Amino acid sequence: MNLDPLSVPYRAGESVLRLAWVLVFLVFGNQTFGGFTGVGLVVVAWFLVTLAYQLVYYQRFEYELTEDTLDIASGVVSRRNREIPVRRVQNVDISRNVVHRLLGIAQIDLETAGGSSTEGSLKYVSFEEAKRLQSEIGRLKRGDTSTDETTAEAPAERELFAITPKELVLLGVVGIDLRLLSFVTVLLPVVAPSLTGQFGDPLVGLAVTAPLAAVAIVAVTAAISGALAVTNYYGFRLSRVTDELHYERGLLQRFSGTIPLEKVQTLSISENVIARRLGYASLAVETAGYSPNDAGSQSAVPLADRRRVFDLAQSVEDFEDVAFERPPKRARQRYVVRYGIVAAVVVAAAFAVDRFTGLTFAWYATAVLVAAAPVAAHLKWRNLGYDLQSEYIVLREGFWTRTISVVPYYRVQTVVDSQTIFQRRRRLATLVVDTAGTSGLTSGATRALDIDEAKASELREIVADRLQEELVKRREQRRRERLGSMEAAA
Amino acid sequence: MDDTDSAGDGPFGSELAPAVRRVAADTDADTEESPGRNVPDIEALTGPQQTLEPAIQAVWILQSGISAAVLGVIAAVAFAFFSPGTPRLGGVVFGAVFLLGAALSVLRYRSWTYEVREDSLYLERGVVTRVKTVVPYVRIQHVDASRGPLERTFGLATTVVYTAGSRGADVSIPGLTPERAEDLQTRLKQLAIAAEGEDAV
Repeated sequence: MNLDPLSVPYRAGESVLRLAWVLVFLVFGNQTFGGFTGVGLVVVAWFLVTLAYQLVYYQRFEYELTEDTLDIASGVVSRRNREIPVRRVQNVDISRNVVHRLLGIAQIDLETAGGSSTEGSLKYVSFEEAKRLQSEIGRLKRGDTSTDETTAEAPAERELFAITPKELVLLGVVGIDLRLLSFVTVLLPVVAPSLTGQFGDPLVGLAVTAPLAAVAIVAVTAAISGALAVTNYYGFRLSRVTDELHYERGLLQRFSGTIPLEKVQTLSISENVIARRLGYASLAVETAGYSPNDAGSQSAVPLADRRRVFDLAQSVEDFEDVAFERPPKRARQRYVVRYGIVAAVVVAAAFAVDRFTGLTFAWYATAVLVAAAPVAAHLKWRNLGYDLQSEYIVLREGFWTRTISVVPYYRVQTVVDSQTIFQRRRRLATLVVDTAGTSGLTSGATRALDIDEAKASELREIVADRLQEELVKRREQRRRERLGSMEAAA
Repeated sequence: MDDTDSAGDGPFGSELAPAVRRVAADTDADTEESPGRNVPDIEALTGPQQTLEPAIQAVWILQSGISAAVLGVIAAVAFAFFSPGTPRLGGVVFGAVFLLGAALSVLRYRSWTYEVREDSLYLERGVVTRVKTVVPYVRIQHVDASRGPLERTFGLATTVVYTAGSRGADVSIPGLTPERAEDLQTRLKQLAIAAEGEDAV
């Protein structure tokens, strides 16, 4: 099959727009360059050239969805034939920006676990064709061989979650990057001297400028994150079709995609400080498909009531209610020392600046940080934890953004237990349970930080053993399924 | 559609696993006796904790010597331009870094062990940070053997094990003789096949 014919002018237009940036610089940077008529000529000529190229590209681009592969033959000068086994497909995503929607075309991307970039990308097919491919691939992957499309149409779809306007607004509020905010507010007293110079009394100046600046920064970040939340997650909807999750989202650019439940690697539930206060959380479902830098697209639920998020997560992975075990108290001492050192360095730096440069300010104000170190250590410690369940290990970490990762033993790739020289001193160790999921922005490493060293090596062996048990279980189940299907066929 | 990749354990018996059996057959004869299971003799493949070849210390010491020399030259140039100090300090930097590197190399060698266990590869290593890694055979994607120029000089090789994991995924075992590296590679290959990894992801 071919791409949609409208993709020819659209792709040509795209490359003209890319050229436009160069031209803008040329026109404004160099007045002698032929003026606007010259530019116009270049644009028209370039458009014709690319139009011709895109026409050939269109003619030489073919794809076909067979029973078990998607074959793509493409390339104008160097040809490439690619076969993607349908069973290996992790995600199928459709995206449409405003222009796509006007033209009725869509971009469809297929992700498999291999490679660093998207494995199969069709730019562009008609929206109906994209939908058809998405559901066909889903159907083939389920092993549903009834090729009669009209009768096998649309298996039961069950809506799991739809974002409400209230949640959308909250998402804007919660989406503020608190780390940035805290960084700014800490930095402010240091930057403030230059601002306070305009006031008679430096202390009054600081008292006036600091809160004002903080308010302004909060307002700006809130506005930006709110706008981003609305454009990204407007009309968010998550539904379940047999064993796949379907999502749709976006105001200007619409995204829709599928997440096959059997390919789910880990679940992570994250809640930042504000969300925790309000009792909200978000859920991310990680598969092995995406490359690390577009981790954002796999968020399953951007924001919902905490209870609801847990219910949803438990419907995807059947883990029990979590009861975390915290690291030993001596881990907390470690953080007190660490933060104390950081605070001391800051105080010393502030003192040095005050003493040896022209800037004079209340350097001793930074001593507050020293007092804050134990508090910060306690908060960090409090939010750590792990929970060993029969089929999952659940890990928790983070104060600003607390992330709870649910890792099925069946998905474990490697188990690593490591001890730095400082951890050895306190008989602590860190256990990393690695999966093939793309640990993106939403979750860091899936690890149990600073647990007792004996416990860590015990857990390391338990996790590895349980993986083997799960493998045996799955193998048995598959064998039984196969016997069943053979009997049914006979 | 049938699941074609978990070969060997189906009701179809031996016809399902030609590729698997071929690899197993060229090493172990007992696959003939047990047609349904393509498992090579696991007992024979596993082994106790192993250490590296002592010659790897020389490689590491030389490597630290090279980086110490680079640092020493940089320090010498830097001290030549700044007033309190002479280029001779570069030599001091070189000496200090080299001694530290050499000590770490010896300690690193002593800390390194690996063990081919029944269902996973187990590694222990590290001086400053002690790391213990368990790599289940089901998760092995492929196994490489590599030999850098310094390693070749000392007749050594490295075995690299790749998994689909996202972080700290690829483990390498340095300091093996080429024979040992090759032996390890085949062992791991067979154990990975015996583990019947289906998706590996």
